[in-house]
Formats: sequence, structure tokens, C-alpha cells
Amino acid sequence: MSKVNIGERVRRTEDLRFLTGRGRYIDDINLDDQARAVVVRSPYAHATINAIDTADAAAMDGVLLIVTRDDWQREGFGPIPTKSGIQKMKDGSPLRQSDRHCLAMDRARYVGEPVALVVAETPAQAQAAAELVDVDYDELPAVIDPVAALQPSAPQLWDDIPGNLCLDFELGDREGTEKALAEAAHVVTLDIENNRVTAVPIEPRGCIAAYDAATDRYVLYNASQNVHANRDAFATQVLNLDKDQLDHIAPDVGGGFGAKNSTYPEPPLCLYAAKRLGRPVKWINSRSESFQSDTHGRGQTSRVTLALDADGRFLALRTDTVGAIGAYAWTVGPFTPTGGAARTQGGPYRFPAMYYTSRAVFTNTMCMDPYRGAGRPEATFQTERIIEYAARKLNMDPIELRRKNLMPPEMLPHKTPMGLDVDSGDFPLLFEETMKMAEAAGLTELRAAAEAKGRKFGFAIAPYLECTGGGPKEHASVTFNPDGSVGLAVGTSSTGMGHETSLSQILAAELGIDLDRVRFVQSNTQATPLGGGHGGSRGMEVGGSAVLQAAREIVDLAKPLAAHLLQSETEDLSFEDGRFAAGGGSVSMADVIDASMDADRLPDGMEPGCLDHSSVFERGVISVPNGVHAAAAEVDPETGVVDLAGYWVMDDFGTIINPMLADGQVMGGVAQGIGQAFLENIVYDPDTGQLMTGSLMDYGLPRADDIPNMEIGYYEGQPTAKNPLGVKGAGEAGCVGACPAVVNAVLDALTDFGVTHIDMPLTPQKVWRAIKDGGAHDPEGLMRAVS
Amino acid sequence: MQDFHFTRPDDLAAAGQAHQASDDGAYMAGGQTLIPVLKQGLAMPEDVIDLNGIADLSGIEADGHGITIGATTRHASVAASEAVCQAIPALADLAGRIGDPQVRNRGTIGGSLANNDPSADYPAAVLALNATVVTDRREIAAEAFFDGLFTTNLNEGEIITRVRFAAPDRAAYEKFPNPASRYALVGVFVAQTADGVRVAVTGAGQDGVFRAAEMETALADSFSAGALDGIAVPADDLMTDMHAAADYRAHLITVMAKRAVARAAATA
Repeated sequence: MSKVNIGERVRRTEDLRFLTGRGRYIDDINLDDQARAVVVRSPYAHATINAIDTADAAAMDGVLLIVTRDDWQREGFGPIPTKSGIQKMKDGSPLRQSDRHCLAMDRARYVGEPVALVVAETPAQAQAAAELVDVDYDELPAVIDPVAALQPSAPQLWDDIPGNLCLDFELGDREGTEKALAEAAHVVTLDIENNRVTAVPIEPRGCIAAYDAATDRYVLYNASQNVHANRDAFATQVLNLDKDQLDHIAPDVGGGFGAKNSTYPEPPLCLYAAKRLGRPVKWINSRSESFQSDTHGRGQTSRVTLALDADGRFLALRTDTVGAIGAYAWTVGPFTPTGGAARTQGGPYRFPAMYYTSRAVFTNTMCMDPYRGAGRPEATFQTERIIEYAARKLNMDPIELRRKNLMPPEMLPHKTPMGLDVDSGDFPLLFEETMKMAEAAGLTELRAAAEAKGRKFGFAIAPYLECTGGGPKEHASVTFNPDGSVGLAVGTSSTGMGHETSLSQILAAELGIDLDRVRFVQSNTQATPLGGGHGGSRGMEVGGSAVLQAAREIVDLAKPLAAHLLQSETEDLSFEDGRFAAGGGSVSMADVIDASMDADRLPDGMEPGCLDHSSVFERGVISVPNGVHAAAAEVDPETGVVDLAGYWVMDDFGTIINPMLADGQVMGGVAQGIGQAFLENIVYDPDTGQLMTGSLMDYGLPRADDIPNMEIGYYEGQPTAKNPLGVKGAGEAGCVGACPAVVNAVLDALTDFGVTHIDMPLTPQKVWRAIKDGGAHDPEGLMRAVS
Repeated sequence: MQDFHFTRPDDLAAAGQAHQASDDGAYMAGGQTLIPVLKQGLAMPEDVIDLNGIADLSGIEADGHGITIGATTRHASVAASEAVCQAIPALADLAGRIGDPQVRNRGTIGGSLANNDPSADYPAAVLALNATVVTDRREIAAEAFFDGLFTTNLNEGEIITRVRFAAPDRAAYEKFPNPASRYALVGVFVAQTADGVRVAVTGAGQDGVFRAAEMETALADSFSAGALDGIAVPADDLMTDMHAAADYRAHLITVMAKRAVARAAATA
């Protein structure tokens, strides 16, 4: 491989490893003398735990250790507090923290909550013994639906937290919004449910913990997408260790989507067991347990109200959300329905007034934590659904209604009523470009083809506004090795999206060296002193900027050496396309790197290895990716089956590092949005709290044939000035735009039947029933009890 | 998974003896149901008796009247069989739409019938085509074979050896897949045979596969989709689950039956 540039469609260097079965995932790692752990989980959604009898289990063949709450209490291990970005209630009092220990203490509060850890020689022995751990439960009434949980008569999860309310929140101009609603020509209200889903990464969670008594240090190999933050939490919050006693390493990780960002209970349990036994302890979650014990996402019920003037200009948007956060305030769980879903409310439209209010509510379910988008897909869905609904109710063209309300370019930079700093973009341009793509694909012909098959045809367009998030700091270190390789260690975390290629590409392009010299390391607390992992579409924005910054600083470090080699002065040097030049002479960066390791070629004052360099980049203000999705849908009215007939996307991600990888991010995100819109749904029995969708037999994941071909375009005309690369973040936008595009396309197809709203997932049965019922629907049915 | 003793006998007699000798033996053909339930601990047999070592249990034979399929013949083999495609294309089509490629390369017709999953595809074909299930002891008419959810009239230790299908005049199978599992939420096999029209429905009945008598009568008068206008199977005896209520299944049965008739009429 030779030189590469930023913006080049470079093939993924990691794919040879992945596609030939040589990836090294957590279950590929086995340490000498390792024992195997299985978690005993609560079969009840809500129950008092009276006693735990481990005698029969401990007597089983091969059993080495059973960890219970008694151990946790005796050791004085702490609970894991939530790090929600919003920590104060509306009245200024602190968010209600729920004591989340790694094992249930007095009560179990969701099906699947860990109650004990059984460690044995083999997984089968551990499983057999786990079934004999005798837990004496007294079942308690459970509450599953967050709206129901707010009722005065609802079962209470926490004795010291009244009304199951963890956090309430408001943002925007309440008075101005109310006034606009009171005076507007049109006011339209719709209750919307954003269904509860889970990430289902192809690799389940798992870890291997090891302890070295000689040094009193631990190593944790963990299928995590955020090793630094979780190292800190495991060491300092739970196990009372110094951070540097724990090395936290993620090997190849098979998908995360947020669900591997969280601080889970199993790794500290294994670390503790490893110390107790003096042997490594390995734990691998089963797929069935994953549905119970991986964090869930979305799960919000909202009332959305839009005010318009007589001409259809938007005057105000008001959203009132109730978000289930599960039994505990998990790693950052309460943030998603509050601050997370607030920021991009209103999308890329001009809104004189906006008001967002919400409540994060405890329920007897697995807990919520970020799932790809974490609040922004909900915000976009609420905004785009109420616009589509208003257009239908007011007999306006939904495309025209959007067109006339988009923020014009001259309005930017603009701070939205939600406080989002929209610095750059051209929303009308992207809107028209997307319409052109769809029209060029032949919307008229697609409609005719659908109708010829007896199907209904629908089309919808959905502009979106995104924002990045996650840790603001990122570290990149570069090491030049005598064998010619260049080590690059970054604190970001790729769970499959290709950082090994894209971050190396930035370094190689900037230094003008061959890409195949770069040896990439990530997700290792030994390799980088800090790192923000993966989350909030921050990989290129913060990680890429750290690499760029480190590379530019290396060029500066190399200048005295290049000048020495060229027998010129540092200030006379230029650097372009990987070459330093001065006067008539030039020298390549590769040569300068070679010289930097040769004491004979170095000037006085420079030592071999002098180009090795680390840099920390810190983001100031989050970026605002934006774009437009459009979808065409065919509906079979006899069965309710939907087929997507076309899909078009224009994205403004700022600078594109590698369009092929960006395409992958968009397609994957759209696939997850389509999954949520049509198939995926976590269902608990509303009375007992038993998980009904506990396997892939009942939890529908999209297959390849559910996903249409997509036409994707990028607008790179306005890179952001918020970071030196000019990137805006690409990772989550796909699933932000997809749900409203496809749902609104289906509802467009159902116009003839009077159907104006169906809550996700739009399964064939729900579509069929909506047609059969002639669109009968209560627009204020979901939130009536709490509004 | 609990430990078990594994045997792979060479012939039927040895398989039967192994079963008789075990307190709790399970036959395995393709293992596409048995292995998952073993892994989940839902079945914990002491002995697993693998039937794949019995050579003459597998294969497809055609005669002038129809097709005979050996019990351990894979779904993929049935789907790809020229003989089946010629004699009963609807059966090859059905086999080619069972599960996914992995399932089709392992799963067998005998295993599917012996298991009698209410959402399996093969029972609809066997019942609609009035096939004969041949065992190591006797021949069982399709009508007498299926006996409710996961239940058949096979006796303890009895092994299906092959299934004999007479070629229909025309037939077709239409499946409405469960959106999550892609098992049949409703599957309708329609066959017009020398003995009349038969319509068998899988995926929907509370007691497993069943025949839709009213539809058969209407189609006997006129083998056309329109003949089924206004005819619906009562929802009372149909399954309700989170994916489809009984009334939706009843509706889908009529839709799938009409589509099957239309396809059979077009391909004949």
C-alpha cells in the first residue's frame, strides 16, 4: 500500500483479520487455569430477597466459589452512581440516586438482575450449580409502563424515592411557547411512543478477570466500548482499588451500539472472584441472558404539540416526555429522556419558541442506557411525526410544509431554543438534493409498479439535526519503531466501525507515510493514559482530531531534524505531501523518521526516538451533523406487509475521512432505524414483568432482505470550525433519520384508509388492524393520565 | 447442556434396540430442534440416538405416481431435487423456504414430521397431499398421523423411514412468516388431487396443522381464488400470541389460501 489521503475510499485494514476468522474476541481468549462463572439472575421483576442458601450448589462437582450479597457487604464494596449529564431536578434538588450494587441486596427489581455469581471449573458445572442456588423470594407487585409508574397507586421501587421519579427536567421558553400555542391559528397534538429496543450486538458481553497477588494488580479483558471510564468505576466506585491497580483491555469487540458502554455488574464480580480464587475467571453472557441484562434504549412516551400560523409557519413546539429508565439509574440512563432528547428537538426548522419537559421514571425492567443516538432519534422522531401529522390534519402538503420552515443558510450560525449551537450547514440545499435523488430514481414509476401489484405507495422525507456527545477529551500517541512500524494508540474504541483504518489513515495522510506502516492500538488503559471510548459519534470528531493534532505536532518536532538533514534553517522549511523542502533540496518524512532513530544523523540536542509524541485534544463545543433521509414504501393492504421501495440520504458530516466507512455507518444506522420502525420491540408482561421477547424467536431483528438499497450523498461544503478536521460525526445519524422517514412513508401510503398514526414497530398486524379500523385512533391516549 | 450418551447405529434394528435399552432416549435426525432444546436444558435425554448413520433412510425416489422421500433427506435436497420439482413443484418450493440455508442443509423431513411443531411447514404439505408416513413398523395416513401440538401417533421408539407423496394435479404453498422468527405465522398448502381439493393450514391452529373444510368444498366447485371470497376459518380455534391475534391469523389464512390457489392455477 502506498500514500493515502483524507477523503479517500481506503479499504479496511482490519477486514482480512475479521473475514478470515482471525479476529480475537473475548471468547477467543483463554488464560491458563481459568475458572468459569455463571450469574444467578432474579426470575422475578420485583421481589424481596429473604435468604440465599448456597449449600447445595457449593457441594456440586467442580464448584469453586459462590459470591453473594454477604461478600459484597462484608467487603464494603460500593454502589455505582449514575453519571447522568443532568444531575438536578427542576427545583434544583439532586437527582434521586438509586443504590445500584453489582448484586441485588434486599430486593430484586427486574427479571435478570444478578443475585449471585457461581464459579466452577467448567461452564456446565457452573450452570448446574447456579440452578441449585436457593433464593427465598417474596414476590412484590411490579410496574412496567413508565406512565403507569407515575400513578399514585403504582408499586414503588424505592422506599426513599417518592412516586418512582428519578429526575424531572425542563428546557426552553415555557411562557413563550404557551403564549404561541394559545394564539396560533392551528395547534396539533399527538401522543407518540418510542418503543423500547436493545442493541443485540452479534458478540454477547463477556469478560476474563485475572489477579496477580505478587503485585496486587488486576487485568480485565472485557467486551467493552469504553475501557477507561469503566476501569475508573470498577476500581474506585466498587472494589475500593486505585485506578492503576486495574488494567482494562478490550480485544476485538463485535458490536456495541452503546450497550457495551455501560458500567455492568459482571466484571467487578469476576475481578473479585479472581482475587478470591487466585485464578483467572471467565464469564460469557448467553444470548437469552443478553436480552435480560444488556441495557435497553428508547422506551419513551411523549405528547408533542405543534403550533402553526394560518400559512403553515411553525410558531412553537412543546414536548412532554415520560421516559422509562428501568429499575436503577444506570451509567448515564436518566440523561437520555431529559437532556439527551431535548437538544435536537425541532430539527433544522425555524422555531420562534420551544419548550421541552420530561420525567425519567423507575420501572421494574432492565435499565436504560445509551443506544445509538440516545435521545436524538427520539427528538427527531417526535418532531418529524408531529409535522407529518399536522400536514395530514390541516390538509397541507408535508413536503411543502417542511420546505417552507427549514432554517435558511443565512440564519446560521444560530443557537436553537434548546441551546444547540448550529454553526454551519445548508438545510434547504440538502433537502432539494435529496428530493432530486428520489425523483431521479422515479417516484412516479415506483408508485405505478406498486399499484400494479395491488399495493399502496407512500413517500416521505425527513430532515434531521444531530449532535455529538461522549467524552470531550481524547489522547493519541505515536511511536516510531526501528523496524519501520509506526505505533498509533488512541483512546477511542472501535467495535467494528473501522477506526484501525480511518484513524491510521489520518496519521498516514498527515505525515505522508505509507498506511501499512501504522500499527493501531485502542481500548487499552496501558496504551493510553486517558480515552473516551466509543459513544456520541465522537470517534473521528475527537479521536480523529487528536490524531491530526499529534501528527501536526510531530511535523513541527521533525523540522529541526529535517533542516539539519537539508543543511538549512527550520524557518525556511515547508512541509507538503510528506516532504520537507528548503531551497532546492527536499527530504521525505519517511527519511526524517529513519534519521530520528539514528544517533549519527541527529543534530546536537536531539535524541533517538525524538519524534515519539502524545497529544490530547479537547473538544470545545459539540458538533451538529445534519442531513435528510427519504423513503418510499409499498404496503400490501391485504396483509399489512411493508416493503421499502427506495431509500435516499444526503448527509452533512463535515469532512469525510473515508467515504466507504461513512457509507457503512449510514447503512448500519439506517438498518437499525428500520429494525426499530418495523420489527424490534422489547416486551414485558405488563402484570408480572416477565420478559416476553427473550430470544430471537420473538425479538425481531432486521435481515438483509428487510433493508433496501440506499443512495447516499455527502455535502462537504461547510466543514465545522469546531475541530481541526472539520468533521461533524457520522456514527448515529443513520438511525436518527431512518425511523421518521420510513414510518411517515408508510403512513403516506395509508392515506386512502384514513390512517394517520401507528406507533412503532409497524408490524404487519398493526398496519392491517389500522386499515381495518379505518384509522380510528386516540391522539391523546398515551399521556392522558399524566398530562 | 447436560451430558448424554451418543450413539450412531448403522441400521433400523440397532436404532430401535438402542432406544428400547435407554430409559430416556431421543432420536436425532437433523437436530435442528433437538440441539437447541438440549442447549437450553429443555430436554435432558440420557441417550441421543443419531439416525444419520442409517444409509437407506435418505434419498428421493420417483415413480409414475409420485415421490418417496427418505426420512433423513435434508430440506435442501428436496428443494433441489429434479424429481420433486417435476412431480410436485409446490413441495420443492416449500422445502426451499424452510428456515435458513443452515437449517435447510441439516433439517430433515422425518425430523420435522416427528416433531410436529405447529409452525412447521412440512405438516401442511403432508396433510394437503394426503401423503403416507411410512415407519419401521407400519404405514400411517397423513390424516391419522398428526395429533396436536408437538404430538403425533408415532408409538414409543417408532421411527419414520420415508414419506410417500402422490403427485397432485396442481398445488401451491403460501407462507406468511412470523416477522421475528420467520416460522410460518400462517402457511396454507392447497392441492387439487384425483381425490379432490385439500387445503391444509399450518402455523395457526391451536392443535397444530388442520384442514379447512369449507374452503375445500368451495374450491371443489371452482378452483379459483374468487371461490374463497367470504370464506374464513373461525378464529376460535386459532392461536393468539404477541405476533398475531387469532382474528389476524384467520384473515391471513384466507389471503394465503387465495394466493396459493391463484399460484397453483397459474402454474398448472
